[in-house]
Formats: sequence, C-alpha cells, structure tokens
Amino acid sequence: MNILEIDSLTMRFGGLLALADVSFNTVKGEILGLIGPNGAGKSTMFNCISGVLKPTGGDMFFETSGRKMRINGYKPEKMTYFGVARTFQNVRLFTALTVLDNVRIGRHCRTKANFFGAVFRTRSQKEEEQKIVDDSMNWLKFVGLEKYVFYTAGGLSYGFQRKLEIARSLATEPSLLLLDEPAAGMNPKETRDLVDLIHRISDLGITVILIEHDMKLVMSICKRLVVLDHGVKIAQGGPREIRQNPKVVEAYLGRGAADA
Amino acid sequence: MNISLKTALKYLLLGAVLLYPLFAFSSEYVLHVMVLIMVYMVLAMGLNIVPGFCGLLDLGYVGFYGIGAYTAGLLTIHFGLSFWVIIPLAALNGAIWGVLLGAPTLRLTGDYFAIVTFGFSELVVLFLTNEIWLTRGPLGLPGIDPVIIDLTWLSTLIHPEWIWYWEFIGLRPYFYLGLIMVALVYVIMSRMEDSRLGRAWFAIREDSIAASSCGVNLLTYKVIGFAISAAIGAVGGAFLARWTMFLSPDMFKFWESFLILCMVVLGGLGNFKGSLAGAAVLIALGEILRIVLPQLGLPTETRFLAYGLIMVLMMRFKPMGFFPAIATQSQKNPILIKLKKELGSSS
Repeated sequence: MNILEIDSLTMRFGGLLALADVSFNTVKGEILGLIGPNGAGKSTMFNCISGVLKPTGGDMFFETSGRKMRINGYKPEKMTYFGVARTFQNVRLFTALTVLDNVRIGRHCRTKANFFGAVFRTRSQKEEEQKIVDDSMNWLKFVGLEKYVFYTAGGLSYGFQRKLEIARSLATEPSLLLLDEPAAGMNPKETRDLVDLIHRISDLGITVILIEHDMKLVMSICKRLVVLDHGVKIAQGGPREIRQNPKVVEAYLGRGAADA
Repeated sequence: MNISLKTALKYLLLGAVLLYPLFAFSSEYVLHVMVLIMVYMVLAMGLNIVPGFCGLLDLGYVGFYGIGAYTAGLLTIHFGLSFWVIIPLAALNGAIWGVLLGAPTLRLTGDYFAIVTFGFSELVVLFLTNEIWLTRGPLGLPGIDPVIIDLTWLSTLIHPEWIWYWEFIGLRPYFYLGLIMVALVYVIMSRMEDSRLGRAWFAIREDSIAASSCGVNLLTYKVIGFAISAAIGAVGGAFLARWTMFLSPDMFKFWESFLILCMVVLGGLGNFKGSLAGAAVLIALGEILRIVLPQLGLPTETRFLAYGLIMVLMMRFKPMGFFPAIATQSQKNPILIKLKKELGSSS
C-alpha cells in the first residue's frame, strides 16, 4: 500500500532542471532513504512534497484519511493538515520562543480556538490550551527534551535544536514525516540517539522519508533507497543493491572509480 | 508583610496617578497630557500587533486612527448615536478597512508592504481633505457631542423622578474613561498574546516558512492581525473624536504614524507592555519640546527631528527596543505555572 506516489515529477527553475521525470513510491510504514550527491535535487523533492514549491510537471499522490488525492500545488499549511510534516536542512526553529512554544505552534493545525476564544477565555479554549500543553509535553518527552521546556529555542545546542524540530513536526500528527539531513552536525552519540528516535517514530506507524549524507546511518535504517543525481533518479532498491550499483558509485566517486 | 519595597512603590505610584484628577491641585494641562498619553497607549498597543507580533512594518497606522475618528464624528453629528454604540461600529469599520487593505497586500513582504501602508494613510488624509460633502474637508468637523451616559430609560422605570444622565464635562471623566479603554485593550492584548492566535503570529514573525509547515495559514493570520490592529486604532480614534469634539484631516498626517511607530520601537517590538512606556515617554517628551523649542528660537515642528533622532539611535543601538519581548513572556498562564511546578517537583 503506497502512502505517497511520485509520478514523473519535474521541477524547473528557469533554465535549471532541478528534478527531471522522477518517479518513486513510498510504502506505508517504511523508512525510505533519499540519497544523492550535493545538488542532486533531494531537498527540492522535499519542497515539492511539502508544498513549499509547486512542481512544474508530473503528479504527486498522497493518501490522506483513507483517500488518495493529487497534491500538486497545495500550500504547505494544507499539506501539514493532510498529514505531511517536515524538518529543514538548516534548522528552522522559532528561535526567540521557548522550546514549549515551538511545539505548541506545531499543534496549531490540529486545534481551532480563535480570537473570541482567546479574548473571552471560554471553557473550550481553556481545555484546548491544557490539551495543547499536555500533547506538547508528550512529544518533548518522546524526543527527550522535557528538561528544557522553558529554555529559549535559539539557546539550545545544535543536536537539541534538531530534536526540537522533529518534536515540532511530530506535534502536527503526521502520517508522513520528511527528515532533511537530521544527522548533519551531530556527534556519534547524538547520531546513535537519532537512529533510535527514527525507529521509535517508525514504530508509531509514521512513514519516514530520510535525506542523509551519512551513508552508514542510511544503510543501517532504510530498507529501501532512492538515489538522485542531477535531478534524475539513477537507482532504487535495497542498501546492498545500491552499494554495488555502478551508476551510484559513479555519481558519488566519479567515472574512474566505477571502472576500477 | 512580604511585599517588596519595589512593588509597594509601584502600587503607590499607580494609586497616585489614578487619584490625581481628584486632587484639588491637579492642573487641566497635566490632565490633558495624561488623556493624550492614554490615547497613544491604545494606538501603540494596537500597532504593536503588526510590526511586533507579525514582524511586518506598518507605516500607515494613522489611517485607521483617522477612519475611527471620522466614523465616530460623522455618526455623532448626523445620527446622534451614543458613544457606546459608536465604539463597536468604529472598531468594525476599522477592521473592515484593515481586511480590505490587508487581504490583497499582505502577500507582499517587507518594504513593499510598508510602502503600501504608507500610501494608504496618505489616501485616507486625501480623502478626508477632498471629500468635502462628507467630511467638510480642511474646515474640519466641529460640534461633535461629548460622551454621554444616558440611563434615563432605566432610572425612570425604577423611579419616575430619577434622571440618570451624565454628560462628560472637563477632563476628569475622560481620564477615567481613557483608563478603562487602556485597561480593556491591555487585557485583550495579553489574552491574544497568550493563545493559539498569538503563537501563530509569533511563528510568522520568527520564520514564515517554518510557520506554514506547522500549519499556520500565513495570509489569514496576517490579515486577522492587521484587522485587529486596525480595529484598536479605530477605537482610539473614536475616543479622540468624542473627547476633542473637533476633527480635521491634518490630525492624521503621516507624522502621527511615525510617532506611534517610534513608541512601539522604543517600548520594544512585540512587547505591548513596553508600548505603554513608549507612549508615555514620547508624549511627555513632545510636550517638553513644545515649551523648550520656541525658547531656542525654533518652530515646534522641529520636534519631529527629535523623534527621528530617537528612531535612528534606537535602530543603531537598541533595535529591539528598551524592553524587548522575551520568550518567557506569557508564563503567567495558570497552565504553564502548573506545568512548571510539576517539572520542578519531578526533577
């Protein structure tokens, strides 16, 4: 059962073809690795799926509340509502706000108190606020940040900022989570914690697509990989296949290496 | 007693200000300045929503102030509506114009949006100056009734000879009315700030791309913020109309926008409590300059040079203002206090 189907997706920025006819599927519940050298179009792919960019060609289908729908051209907030959450390559937190507030904002799309609720402090608004705090605390405990609830997000260490971003995206109750280089800049221990965290996210039934440059990490947690190079899909399959695929070796190491 | 000296002094000062109009030695001039400060406190708090909470530069706030004032003035003169009916109507009219201006233009970012708002406030002044059939143009709008509390319908029901009818004469009633207005806007602001709505605004200010991937509809929340800000500005205008009992288009020139923005920046962007201080300081400074400048042989208009200088110095040395918004601002919320206690006891 596919949760996401990408069908000959094309993204063109003026003269630059960032994605050319890329097609792949994501099976519900899996951890899919999306790899490729720098500039391969991986983040562009995430931006298309999460609605930040509108693809110039092709189709994307996403299964939301039991129904398959075409998601080209929906705004990011709509995609979040449908169940796609993401993190960013260079962490994008609300740095001047507290850790708790960051996660509380993640609850935005699943709550509905408005201006009148806020000003008159209705009972439903109060209950909702309590629920938002409880849910946010659960997610903070899930990623292991419960000790830093009232810290300013910008003051956290880099590894914690990445974790907080994951907590924030989980707070939107996604069915598909896009992680853009979550291990970048992490030390070995933090990376081990991250692997554990991704497994636990997967155990919750959330499908994960992972962009990562740390090959050891990707090969160890992804059963299936998609390889992009210069906007073209050059390979797809299990870690072992990918490692032996001459095209992939060439993309990463150059032509000479593949021949040798 | 475990009240510290500082809190005691704070309450003493607050009490002195509250009771000031009742003392025999209170001067009309000081009272006038105080009421003026309160009008600007409301305006500065309202404006803080747009540049402070949402991070959008708004140079045309005075447009909504003017709309509110003329709405109140015209409704009083032509229809004799009561102040209490006019306030919501003026707020509504301000909000409507906020939506009309905001919905198409809030897609613009940064400087472009600032220019649009600047143009809007100029448009409002030009409209007020030239549409003489409606606003009497540069002649102004004199003869607006003062605020009246008319409860005769109720009092005659209770006792036929009782007449509960008060007309606001002098500055004292306006002082207390202004105080109520400031308090109400303050409560609304603090409740909005600590809610789903306020968090959405902060998210937009901090990082709009991240905000939209958290599910915040950028345009909707910007328009809501702009409209609420406009409504608060219009309430300030309506109060001004019924207080000064005279309106003219040159009360709503661009300089007023700049002055209000100055107050917001001085008090701290995103910190509406700081706006109160900003309003008090800048209005008081304006009054001082009004006296000092002529003695130096300068026209009183040169005081805008002082405001400009303050703005430049602020931007250079304290771009976030003297009391910048801090992340822990909304922690008076009982839910968070409870959470803090739980965390404190568990660790």
